[in-house]
Amino acid sequence: MTKTIKRLLPAALAVLLAGCAMQPVDSTTTRYRVAFIAKNNRDSEFWDAVFTGAEAAATEYNLQLTITAPDDEEDYAAQNQLIADAVEDGAQAIVFSAIDYEANAAAIDAAAAAGVTVISVDSAVNSDNVAAYIGADNYGAGRMVAQSVLDGMEGALCVGLINYEVNGANGRDREQGARDAFAESGRARITAAVSTHPNAASARADTLAMLRTHPEINVLIALNETTAVGAAQAVQQMQRADDLWLAAFDSNIETIDALQTGTVDTLIVQNTYGMGYFGVESAYKLLAGQGSSVEKSNITATRTITRENMFAMDKQKALFPFG
Amino acid sequence: MKRPPRTVVLAAALISGVAVAALILCTTLFLRSYRSAVVEGARTNSAQVVSQVAGAVDNYVNTMDSAVGIVLEQLDSEPAMRDAFLNAFLTARPEVAAITTYDESGSLLDCWAQAGRTPKSDILRNLSFDLTTARRLGHGYISTPHVESIFDSYYPWVVSVIRAVPGDGGSSRWLAVDLSFKELAATINNVSIGQHGYCYLMDERGNMVYHPQQQLLYAGLKKEEAGRLACLGDGTYVEDTVIYSVQRVPGSTWRVVGVSYIDETVNESFRQMVRITVITAGLVFLAALVAGWVLSRLLSRPLQQLETAMEQFEQDADHFAFQAVRGTREVQNLSDSFGHMVGRIQQLMTTVREEEIVLRKTELKALQAQINPHFLYNTLDSIAWMCERGKNADAVQMVHALARLFRISISRGHELIPIEKELQHAEAYLQIQKYRYKNQFTYHFTVDESCLHCLCNKITLQPIIENAIVHGLDLMVDSGHIEITVKPDGNDILLIVADDGIGMEPEQVAALLQNEPSDRTGIGVKNVNDRLRIYFGADYGISIESAPYEGTTVTIRTPRVPEDREGDYDKNH
Repeated sequence: MTKTIKRLLPAALAVLLAGCAMQPVDSTTTRYRVAFIAKNNRDSEFWDAVFTGAEAAATEYNLQLTITAPDDEEDYAAQNQLIADAVEDGAQAIVFSAIDYEANAAAIDAAAAAGVTVISVDSAVNSDNVAAYIGADNYGAGRMVAQSVLDGMEGALCVGLINYEVNGANGRDREQGARDAFAESGRARITAAVSTHPNAASARADTLAMLRTHPEINVLIALNETTAVGAAQAVQQMQRADDLWLAAFDSNIETIDALQTGTVDTLIVQNTYGMGYFGVESAYKLLAGQGSSVEKSNITATRTITRENMFAMDKQKALFPFG
Repeated sequence: MKRPPRTVVLAAALISGVAVAALILCTTLFLRSYRSAVVEGARTNSAQVVSQVAGAVDNYVNTMDSAVGIVLEQLDSEPAMRDAFLNAFLTARPEVAAITTYDESGSLLDCWAQAGRTPKSDILRNLSFDLTTARRLGHGYISTPHVESIFDSYYPWVVSVIRAVPGDGGSSRWLAVDLSFKELAATINNVSIGQHGYCYLMDERGNMVYHPQQQLLYAGLKKEEAGRLACLGDGTYVEDTVIYSVQRVPGSTWRVVGVSYIDETVNESFRQMVRITVITAGLVFLAALVAGWVLSRLLSRPLQQLETAMEQFEQDADHFAFQAVRGTREVQNLSDSFGHMVGRIQQLMTTVREEEIVLRKTELKALQAQINPHFLYNTLDSIAWMCERGKNADAVQMVHALARLFRISISRGHELIPIEKELQHAEAYLQIQKYRYKNQFTYHFTVDESCLHCLCNKITLQPIIENAIVHGLDLMVDSGHIEITVKPDGNDILLIVADDGIGMEPEQVAALLQNEPSDRTGIGVKNVNDRLRIYFGADYGISIESAPYEGTTVTIRTPRVPEDREGDYDKNH
């Protein structure tokens, strides 16, 4: 009897192993749910590119990704609601870009308390519960935009700053970087600074008002995509394209057109695709227990684009995302 | 010394060992073949996907060629017809972004575009046509993907096909057809090989044509080994954990590269297999324990029972009764053999004991048959002396006593004789000794009549009386007395010889019962005792009470044996 058992045992094991191996590897069990909460989802090439990156990462890591954003880029309350909804909906990680550095903090803390992993992209939020930040060095980018002006123009500079969403960390840091770089140069003076609503019409109206009030302004700095569009329109309208240096953030069809005609002189372009991609990738790594490979703060690169280099192959690819 | 382990433990360990070894062997072999099968599957999958992508790209290139062919045919038609045709063509083929012509100096001549788009009056840089390359290559070329840069607010990614237009009158012109790259890009973006695998497009020198994650490549956050792969021919290469699949697009300088990772597909399965193996190993171990338990029931327990039986047998072989142990065939054989052995040993022991008794009886009989020669000489000397002195009556009495003594001693070979005869024998001996010791002692018989016809061993009293005379009375100055009593005691009969001689020390008493008699003293007290025990058992025999200077009382205990039961005890004769 014992002999029979011994003889049958290996055969039985082989059958058992084969049987187990034939079970399909169930990958849906590890499909994580990630919510991407942006600042704005309308008419923004910046966010389109971020979403493209986010979706690429979601496809690559087989995640269930939902992308939401408030209609108004100033509506932090709506964003807080989206965070609560995402937690309610069972999201395991939230990739979040804060409209308001302070006002979004409580909602993020609540989400973290509910066990959700929070990754901050593009603009930070005042919370200790953020597992990782992915975004540009905004202060550095501010210095970069000032430097591009200083490189491009000689003589005394009268600078007009067009900022947005004063409560957002990004605009504040960029403005500070630009102010510091100008101050260090010794030949530039901030003539005027305006904080406008994040839409092109407001930016255009505020820029026109600024240029009319301060005709001596020969440098304009627009600190994000929508203010850049508005500022470019205003410069065109005032026919100041030739004697005024407009340096702006982010790429947009209108600003790219304006860059070719000379209305816009410098564009500071962020790695928007990278923000989306790395934001979602970090979410995956943190959820999958590979958190050690995720850095607490991941700075994405920014580039300076001018009329001369805009059609170089690498700049083309940075300016004109596929999709 | 360390004791060897129990069979149960050995059996469980053995089965576990065999099972685990078999399991490891099976698992290893299985995983090896499984892994190679999975890798082979991944290779095939990668090659297939890349082949499909190459097909799609080929299709795209063919579309471009056919579009260029159609446009070329129409280029020199009458302008109104040509414009109508090309506009219709653009409507029908939305993937064509623009059709442009250039003169020999590279200046833009004509432009036809989708939905009434017109080129900017001041084009910063036209990426659709590069005069230097066109001149160098002569007949034309296909550009790498680039942004359409001749329109306002319209920047699609396109690939330009440049062809020299057969000139009329020697002047050379160039035609550029810009085809949207979006569809092809989407196709490549949507390709997935395994979990994380993807495809990209490179040219023959390894320059990136299109990569789904161009942004990451340009940001320096991702690297591709396109340069190295460009040196390799078409095929699938497994390197460490990455599978590269390279395939040339027919009729083009582009090559499709598929990148997939063995880790994800194989290692996921591997982990699963390891998990299954561990669980199975656990189950096998449990099964081994159960099997060990069963084995212990089958083998070890019967062996333990046998072991116990052997120990019992060792301690008390006489009274051991073997009960057969149930179990497997081997165990039953063992048990049967042991049973046989026990039976045989017990039988042998009985035989040996019986033979010993027979031997002892024979020995004792030989002793009984012996007549102490000194006694005979002395007695005959006494008779001769009586005859010389004319004491004929005494001599006659002596001779009679001697004759009676011998007659009873022989008793026709019977071992057991009636007590009456034994008493006559004792009296004959006493009479002879009384003459010899010149009436130094007196004697008296007190006999219960009911005992006279019972049997007892012959020559039982004489050695005791001899001992009383030689050791008790001979050394006395005064005359002594020997009192012989026969009385029943329950089912036994007591023969008591009491003297009032010098008595004995306890050591002498013990020596008397243990030592063989010397030559001089006939049968001896010890032999009387032994004989009683051999015949009747340990309950019977001699007990001696003695005190120095007071006398000795020897009590012989013998069973009451009626005359007709002689055969029960004297069976060996």
